Amino acid sequence: MRRVLQVAWREFASTVFTKGFIIGVAIVPVIMIVLIGLMPLLMSDEAPKVVGSVAVIDKTNAVLPGIESRMTPEAILRRQNDSADRVREAANTAAKETAGRLGLGEDTVPEIPADTPLDMGEAPEITIEALAADADLEQAKTALLTGDARSGGRLAIVVLEESVVTPDEQGDYGAYDLFLRERLDDRVTNNHIQPVVRQAIREARFAATGDDYREIGKRWSVTRGERKTVTAGGETEGGEIANMLLPMGAMLLLFISVFTGGSYLMTTTIEEKSSRVVELLLSAVSPMQLMTGKVIGQMGVGALLMLVYGGVGIGAITVFNLVNIEPSLIVYLLFFFVIAYFIIGSFMAAIGAAVNELREAQALQTPVMMVAMVPWILWLPISRDPNSVFATTLSFVPPVNPFVMILRLTSTEPPPAWQVWVSIVIGLVSAWLVAWAAAKVFRVGILLHGKPPSFGTLIKWVRMA
Amino acid sequence: MTHAIDIQGLRKSFGAKVAVDNLDLTLPTGKLYGFIGPNGAGKTTTIRMILSILFPDAGKLSVLGKASASDSKDRIGYLPEERGVYRKMKVAAFLDHMGKLKGMSGPPLKRTIHDWLERVALADVAGKRCEELSKGMQQKVQFIATVMHEPELLILDEPFSGLDPVNMRLLRELIREQHEQGRTVIFSTHVMFQAEQLCEHVVMINSGKKVLDDDLAAIRARHEPTEIEFEPLDIDDDPAPLSGLSQIAGVRKGEQGWEATIADGAPPSEALRAIVGAAAVAKIELKRPTLEDIFIDKVLEQGSANIDTEALRASLRAGANAAEGADAEAVAAGEGVTS
Repeated sequence: MRRVLQVAWREFASTVFTKGFIIGVAIVPVIMIVLIGLMPLLMSDEAPKVVGSVAVIDKTNAVLPGIESRMTPEAILRRQNDSADRVREAANTAAKETAGRLGLGEDTVPEIPADTPLDMGEAPEITIEALAADADLEQAKTALLTGDARSGGRLAIVVLEESVVTPDEQGDYGAYDLFLRERLDDRVTNNHIQPVVRQAIREARFAATGDDYREIGKRWSVTRGERKTVTAGGETEGGEIANMLLPMGAMLLLFISVFTGGSYLMTTTIEEKSSRVVELLLSAVSPMQLMTGKVIGQMGVGALLMLVYGGVGIGAITVFNLVNIEPSLIVYLLFFFVIAYFIIGSFMAAIGAAVNELREAQALQTPVMMVAMVPWILWLPISRDPNSVFATTLSFVPPVNPFVMILRLTSTEPPPAWQVWVSIVIGLVSAWLVAWAAAKVFRVGILLHGKPPSFGTLIKWVRMA
Repeated sequence: MTHAIDIQGLRKSFGAKVAVDNLDLTLPTGKLYGFIGPNGAGKTTTIRMILSILFPDAGKLSVLGKASASDSKDRIGYLPEERGVYRKMKVAAFLDHMGKLKGMSGPPLKRTIHDWLERVALADVAGKRCEELSKGMQQKVQFIATVMHEPELLILDEPFSGLDPVNMRLLRELIREQHEQGRTVIFSTHVMFQAEQLCEHVVMINSGKKVLDDDLAAIRARHEPTEIEFEPLDIDDDPAPLSGLSQIAGVRKGEQGWEATIADGAPPSEALRAIVGAAAVAKIELKRPTLEDIFIDKVLEQGSANIDTEALRASLRAGANAAEGADAEAVAAGEGVTS
């Protein structure tokens, strides 16, 4: 046993204590954080300041003043700052809540100062050109093709038909038309021109019927306070998305741990075989001890990945109170990890022992790759309907049952415990069978050099040994 | 005296190919054994069965008094024919790993590794990765891994393959020293002169069958020289008249001078005297049969029909190309393909 553990330790240490592995493990979360951090920066890249005019053909004679009063330089600047304020406020609130949940106290987080420059783009300079109600639209459009958006060219034409403010016989309002210069900064259109036009139209409509615009606005606006999901384990704030992501995350965790350990197992076995060190090892340990040690060592690697990624995941879920995680889920996850790892790992060790080099392993790996694809195909149907006949049946079919069960366990309607345990027992029995067959292939293959065996030859070895 | 290895009726086949056929072998403790035979003779397969890496189809086997080497692995040092190191591992770490696999631990293990690396002049590469070592250096590291736990029985499968003459001599000294310390040493080789240089006792096998099993001295005694090699003082002398001598059956030009075949029944001493009496010679010596000659005689004696002796000789001399032969043997052992 000491020898098996020594083999396992070498296997683990030589895999984990390498720059490649450490960087590999660290890089996934880092890339995610960097992407999340960079996304807004990438999206709000510096654009040149927009300077130009918006022509208005107002056939209602009621909307133009509202537009003009909202397009003054002060009004534009206010809108620009308001959106920056909203971003700051949201960031402050989120930071405080996070600090509170972490038990640090909400006051420990410094506020983002109001004068922190946020890259919302420079405030545009927009002037309003009032065109005559009977102006030639085609003629007006030609100005959109000349000049540019940085030195006072025409940016847009707003056409307001009379029906925009005065409804027809059925009581329906008409639409306004907007013609834009090519490649105009979206933020000018979305943050300034459209809101201003809409607001001015509303104002004009209310004015026409004599209603108080502000009063109606208050009545229209409904705010939501808390939104929490009440579970036996407490209240959580996660919604539909968190409920979909948890199965995905748990399965991904299982998947990464199992297949990383498994493929390392295959490559180290091939390496030992091709460098012929295996013959030297076999003078000290039996093939069975060697394989057991290697399988245990790489299981440690998989378990380490599970610990790191799973720990980060559970930490995040707890801090943000997204969904409630039952402790039993972690126990089940470990069980299914061991089962899935033994099935995949034994198979990979057997392939590694049977071939001479990595290239030859590819053909034999097809069944493993097929198993690897199944969880991705099943994710959506199973997390949508975790207790369908299809899902229930598959959770008893090795070698996919660990993945299916984890999907079901993390869904909103977990399966009954008896099903989980039946699946575990089936899994353990099949893991044992696969390990047994793999040990035979391993014993025959590990000392054999020459023509790589076909899948049929492997089965022959299992029968023969 | 207990036997280091006791084999009776050992048999192993791979598919249609019989690698080892009804082999009996008794190796007393403390001797230095040569296990010789051409590539594909079944040497490696026999050794693997001795080490319980493979299991025989039939026959009895006892190693160091145990029925299976699995029970006495720590008392055996095995240097496989196909050997390697963990390329990315540091030399000292690799030896530490091997030592632990052989049941060593702690400070004594560290000391052993240090002492051995000093002995083979590798102390300065202890912290280097194995892949940075030359092939000869790697071979030394592998040898240390084989003997570091002071085994009672040392099994070396083609230990000289791939070594340059300097390292070959070093290894020969190390093997001799292991033997002098009282260990039983078996080494296999397909290059006969290596066995002649080193061992006390040889076991020859061919096609899975034992053809010879005796002390080297006894073999030499039994195989009386049948040839005399000589150089005439004057190289242009015609040695033809010598064939007229009653002690000489024939004379022909050899590689290094002239070769005379001693007539059947004539004592070699008389044949020598007769030649010296009849011709002026610069140099004359009895040509002892080499192990190679004896091996080929034995194979022929066994009546294996239509043997191409030249091909057999060539395979016995292909010492330098051992790696090539090794692959062929491994394939033959595994897949039933004859090499």
